[in-house]
Amino acid sequence: MTLSAMLLWMLLAPLVGAVAIAVSPRHLAKHIGLASSLVVLFLSIVFAVQFPAWTTGAFVPDTNVFPDGVVSLTGVTFTLGVDSVSLLLILLTTFLTPLALWGSYTAIEGREREFYGWFLTLLSAMLLAFMARDVIAFYVGYEFTIVPMLFLIAIFGGDDRKYASLKFFVFTFVGSVITLAALVYVASKSAEATKVWDFSLSALQAHAKTLSPKEQFWVFVALMVGFCVKVPFFPVHTWLPLAHTQAPTAGSVILAGTLLKLGTYGVYRIALPMAPNAAVETVGFLAILCVIAVVAISLVCCAQTDMKKLVAYSSVAHMGVCMLGMLSLNPLGMNGSILYMINHGLSTGALFLCIGFMYERYHTKDMDQLSGLAKVMPIWAFFVVFFTMTSVGLPGLNGFVSEFLCLMGAFAATTHTDSGFPGLLGPKWMIVAGVGSLIFGAVYMLYMVGRVVWGPLKAPGHGDDHGHGAVAAVGHAGGHGAGQGAASGAGSSSTTAAGPKHDDSAAGGHGHRLPTDLSAREIAILAPLAVICLVIGIHPYPLLDVITPSTKATLAGYPEAVRDFDATRESRGELATAPALPADAPTTPAATDASTALGSNLGVIAR
Amino acid sequence: MTHLATLFPSLPSALAGDGDAHGTAHRAAEGAAAAATWIGGATAHPEYSWAGWILLLPLLSAVFCFLCGAFRVKNKLPALVTIAALGSAFGLVLTLYLKYDPTHASGPMTVHLFDWIRVVWGEKPGQSFVADWSLYIDGLTLFWMLFVTGLGTLIAIFASEYMESDVGGNYCRFFGAVGIFLFAMGSLVMGGNLALLYLGWEGVGVASYLLIGYYYGKPTAVAAAKKAFVMNRVGDLGLLVGIYLTWRHFGSIDYATIFKACSETIANGSHGGDWTKGLIPYFLMLGAFGKSAQIPLFTWLPDAMEGPTPVSALIHAATMVTAGVYLIARLYPLFLLHPHALHTVAWIGGLTAFLAATIGMMQYDMKRVFAYSTVSQLGYMFLGLGVGTTFGACYHVFTHAFFKALLFLASGAVMHGFAGQLDIRKISGLRNVPGFKIVAWTMLIGCLWLSALPFTAAFFSKDTILLVAMTDESHGNRILAWLGLLTALMTAYYTFRVWFRVCGGETAYQPGDEAHGHDDHGHDADHGHGHGHSHGHAADAHGFHPHAPRFAINGVLLLLAVGAILAGLPGLIEFLKMGPNWAAEMIAASSATIGVPNLTEGLAGGHAEHAHHATVLGMDGHTAMFLLSTVAGFGGIAIAAYYHLVRRRAAETLKQALLANPLIGWLPRALENKWYVDELYDALFRYPIVVFGGHVLAWIDRYILDGGIINGIARIPAWIGRLFQPLYNGLLQGYAITMVGGIGLILAWIVYVWMKGGI
Repeated sequence: MTLSAMLLWMLLAPLVGAVAIAVSPRHLAKHIGLASSLVVLFLSIVFAVQFPAWTTGAFVPDTNVFPDGVVSLTGVTFTLGVDSVSLLLILLTTFLTPLALWGSYTAIEGREREFYGWFLTLLSAMLLAFMARDVIAFYVGYEFTIVPMLFLIAIFGGDDRKYASLKFFVFTFVGSVITLAALVYVASKSAEATKVWDFSLSALQAHAKTLSPKEQFWVFVALMVGFCVKVPFFPVHTWLPLAHTQAPTAGSVILAGTLLKLGTYGVYRIALPMAPNAAVETVGFLAILCVIAVVAISLVCCAQTDMKKLVAYSSVAHMGVCMLGMLSLNPLGMNGSILYMINHGLSTGALFLCIGFMYERYHTKDMDQLSGLAKVMPIWAFFVVFFTMTSVGLPGLNGFVSEFLCLMGAFAATTHTDSGFPGLLGPKWMIVAGVGSLIFGAVYMLYMVGRVVWGPLKAPGHGDDHGHGAVAAVGHAGGHGAGQGAASGAGSSSTTAAGPKHDDSAAGGHGHRLPTDLSAREIAILAPLAVICLVIGIHPYPLLDVITPSTKATLAGYPEAVRDFDATRESRGELATAPALPADAPTTPAATDASTALGSNLGVIAR
Repeated sequence: MTHLATLFPSLPSALAGDGDAHGTAHRAAEGAAAAATWIGGATAHPEYSWAGWILLLPLLSAVFCFLCGAFRVKNKLPALVTIAALGSAFGLVLTLYLKYDPTHASGPMTVHLFDWIRVVWGEKPGQSFVADWSLYIDGLTLFWMLFVTGLGTLIAIFASEYMESDVGGNYCRFFGAVGIFLFAMGSLVMGGNLALLYLGWEGVGVASYLLIGYYYGKPTAVAAAKKAFVMNRVGDLGLLVGIYLTWRHFGSIDYATIFKACSETIANGSHGGDWTKGLIPYFLMLGAFGKSAQIPLFTWLPDAMEGPTPVSALIHAATMVTAGVYLIARLYPLFLLHPHALHTVAWIGGLTAFLAATIGMMQYDMKRVFAYSTVSQLGYMFLGLGVGTTFGACYHVFTHAFFKALLFLASGAVMHGFAGQLDIRKISGLRNVPGFKIVAWTMLIGCLWLSALPFTAAFFSKDTILLVAMTDESHGNRILAWLGLLTALMTAYYTFRVWFRVCGGETAYQPGDEAHGHDDHGHDADHGHGHGHSHGHAADAHGFHPHAPRFAINGVLLLLAVGAILAGLPGLIEFLKMGPNWAAEMIAASSATIGVPNLTEGLAGGHAEHAHHATVLGMDGHTAMFLLSTVAGFGGIAIAAYYHLVRRRAAETLKQALLANPLIGWLPRALENKWYVDELYDALFRYPIVVFGGHVLAWIDRYILDGGIINGIARIPAWIGRLFQPLYNGLLQGYAITMVGGIGLILAWIVYVWMKGGI
């Protein structure tokens, strides 16, 4: 099988699986779902083994699947190609999906066909977004992830699922339409100039550099708006905690693990190479938002009582660190940022799985109702503490490496007035404030662990001993029907017995008897995640090694002082001269009206 | 050079001083000559890669223990495996020590194990960030590792008996965390770069978190664990920024490279770089203060006594808390980057020593007294580092490790025997209780050593520090020395207050209430006692029989007592002018002396003889210090003997009299309440930031940001959505149709543009 065919089959296999699920008996749905996702995992591993461009930063195979006629008519191609970073994210996706599906075996009862069918569609859409080299193909994948996720939340979600799914939809849809508008604008300008429609990413990125600085700026802003909603970036993050709280476990895993990464991936792959000068101008402002996200959202985490909501908010803070690394626009921070995407996917996905497994037993995620579960679920407790430690960035586990590199990169990109070092991210104290996330991260995660895992045992009955309905009365208490204002219904400890929402499943109570502690299946789901977290933590060099060529390629269009910065320049007494912009760039990038409004500190670079 | 000389008028006197008087003057001079080769001369020694097993063995034993827990092993296998792994690691360290010649001209050794973090984007020094799994082995490393692994093994043996009532899942968890701790401590000490140090730094933090919270059924234990972790994180933040700044200025975080650059800096007298270079030591010392429980981050350590006693002995007395001292000793050259960095360290150390001692005098919980004494002794170590005697500081770490571990384990044995009783008012005359003879008398050795009476190990180490501080007239170091002497008096008092109360006097005891015991298994019913006799939740003393320690506990106590005595041997040999101090030789062959011998060389003459001729109270410095600390030690013991052995009632009378006095009545209250520092921190940080800030921000996030602004904006598309109301209601597919319609519209627009463009 050629590489290109392999990519195509990775897209098709889940869809084939979805169709098979649709025509098969209900009880087979989960097995077909798992099998299809495993096929995709297998294909992606084979692809990764055969992948020739791990260390070159090139896109392989980068071939168009559409017939030429379609291309010449519309300019839209179906070019698939991956570089090392895309492939790593594809591997993350194909690795997390089977685990998420397997983890849903007992959690999803009723309407399984829809669940597993939509999940496979989601997988296909995500893979398309990561593989596409054509912006329309990318956009289709990017946009189409919304639909299955919408159904997963709206059908299988908690009490507030309708509001959550609406919010999720409106946010991400509006955001991505703005992104599309920017892409189409660049394409149309390019078409005006060349008289040929061409939506390929490389062509658009090449053309974007010929736009006027003002146009570049607005294109960059529009692209960022869309991607930042997905990341999610402060202050447009408010859909995420709600979506996570309401989504079923597997949905949360994929949402945190992969869907958010589409945002950062979009920034990395499309926005940053598209308009380097605009990026250099804007990152200072964006960094402020990052730091606010990190600090303020970390504090917000401390005030949560719902476990999933806490982890969801922590995602916002973590993605702030990830973006801070990426916006530092130097290879160090960017490498860290890419690695952060993978690590965050692994550890947060695993945490959601842990919470989900616990939820299946106690039907509550409310920390006020749970305490000391280590007593009855020691193995579960081990995994929760383990993944908490990866999440708070314990060195030796994966989270640390990426967090460390992101922060180092961000530090390195701060202003240095004495030497004229182009500080992209503003003053150092700001980054120090961002590093404060280290402390707050520990505070809120350990707060959760201290409440739920440790302490005297307290739980609303054991899942084993009670019928579904009886226990669910506790679990599903809360603000159902409270309307839009009560976004966090599950967080309140109201005694309203709203009853199980899974209308189709409630009939016979739980068909599955779960053991008190984790079952072999659940251990088998969490153990590989833990092992990978440990391996990446101890030996991340192979990953960093393959990420570097890609980040260098992404930064190719940037001024040399940014791209090839040298941290010790001042120490060696080589004060920076004003770095020159690349020859093909406009000569007055900072002369836009908008950039002054943003108070960017690019003056240094522009000189 | 002149710059450094003004920085450190004290240094030459310090080093030459104690070297000279203690009979190792020749070594200081030799050191000066050899220093240049030492500083940058780290060489790669791939043949020592087996040293990696020193780290790996504890880690493997930790994994094994957790697996035992998963497979529900209900015997002492985890303990045996851990003891074997730690013992082997100690054996390897010993082998390494025997193979390694600290005076070897080739300097420190580096061993590259494998790549860890490595980002390279250019050829220049600042265009890469490399942190590998590599080891840096010099005298300081071996010195530290010897007692870390040695004590670790002993304490694991102790714990195998002490924790036996928990055999099962918790037993596995305990030894798993001990394994993690030894792995992390090994990385911290042996690691060849700052990132690996940071790994160890956080790793010991998490091991400490897991072990403080071992009795997780108790909310206080959980809170203490969290407090320790978070406070340490505050320090880690400083360490992280320090690492960044180091990388920024040296282009590397490898010790070998940094020290080479530092040696050149010292040789050329030029610092280069900008003012941020001077911040490096301050950020690093913040990390050290966090880990070593110094002002302002000291309040977690006393609370950490919630953990099982072997943990208190190993982690919170002997090894982990000395990591801060290690950090400063290891990175001593970086602490010369700013003129006041070391003075700050000295003052923080001296003040912490004093403050902790004041609190220690008024505590009734045996373990807490020893915890405050640990904070206080750590303060002495920082004082030593600050005034320039890295040898004194490191030697004090070494001696302190033995006697403090001994004291903790002895108090653990008491708790073990008396159902968790720790209140020194409720146990008396232990020396006459059958089976507790060894405990009582080894505890006496620990107390004598902690009081630093003449010819005990701590006498040699602590007095080195105080002597150097005393003979240095700059920056108020002499004030610190007097404060240190006063602290020594208080130390002797509170130490013997414990011993006279617990071991002296008539035999009388009340067992602790296991259900609320400090260190026992009150959290749930199925942690019954594995002991032959059942004393259960004995609240009355009548049916209570103290549970005498058996072989493992007594054996370890005796071994530690012997160790504490032997730890003083190097000092004694030096004192009797029979040869050089072994510890001084080890420290001299390390980065802890970088910069120091050079100064001696540069300022040869007057300064080198400074300490020798320095007079204190009109006497020779050494004689004066000998007399002063003898007086302080015996004075403290005498006061303790009067109030707590001879006339115990007088102590109570005195306390009541003090409390009744309106002028100084607040003092005992403040001391008993630990100067209200916890309350202050809660009021300043915890409530405003975490509680208030968190809730207010959460409210803003939910009602203003989301409810107001975002939903306001979202109302526009929602209003549009209302046009599709039929689709929304009941038909979820409506969303999809809306979206597909949206994509269709966009495609239509593309086509429109395309046609308009006429392409």
